[in-house]
Amino acid sequence: MPPKKRIFQRKRVCRFCTDKEMSIDYKDPKTLRNFITERGKIIPRRIYGTCASHQRQLCSAIKRARQIALLPYSGATQR
Amino acid sequence: MRRYETIYILRPTMSEDEVTAVIENTNAILSTDGGQVISIDKWGLRTLAYLINKESQGYYVFCDYATNPANVEEMERKFRIDEAVMKYMTVKVADSITDEGVEAARGEYQAAIVAAEEAEKDAEKQEEKKPDASATVTETVKEEVKEEKEEVKETQE
Repeated sequence: MPPKKRIFQRKRVCRFCTDKEMSIDYKDPKTLRNFITERGKIIPRRIYGTCASHQRQLCSAIKRARQIALLPYSGATQR
Repeated sequence: MRRYETIYILRPTMSEDEVTAVIENTNAILSTDGGQVISIDKWGLRTLAYLINKESQGYYVFCDYATNPANVEEMERKFRIDEAVMKYMTVKVADSITDEGVEAARGEYQAAIVAAEEAEKDAEKQEEKKPDASATVTETVKEEVKEEKEEVKETQE
């Protein structure tokens, strides 16, 4: 076993759990845009620390938004 | 009856009359057999995230309603035939809804309209707040990336 490395990690809390007013809605691409990369990929939850259930909701919301052309499937985002 | 919501995108070249004609036709289909339309919201012309039928813009219409599954199927069949509709998406919101539920939902939309008018007054204040929040998030992400890179280096050594 290698010695345990001391990695500085900030405690991350799920944004949707802390802010109850924030809702996940596929009709609201402005909020969803915070959770995709410039390329349009969904950002993994280890980055923002979103909790599992909210990440699942986010994921399906983003996929719905993509279907109806509110968010891109890929490529640079148009504004 | 189930509660659904549908977004459909119409061609941007259509006139206002043609748009209302399409909306009325769909509403007529949905309200057969006791179906009820809760709310219709025209989002208007929007830039699409990707090209659909070689168009970069589309006229969005959002519709919230309570109806039978058969009506939804019929509506989607019409959409597929209709040249005016470029794309549509239906989402089931609730498995069952009563007449009282429909009334309550209508009331909610009315309340939302009133709230939106009030929000417009406070809009300037909120707009100032929002950019700050997104800025902090990007910062934290950058830090995360740095940390991860360092971690990788250490493991390589």
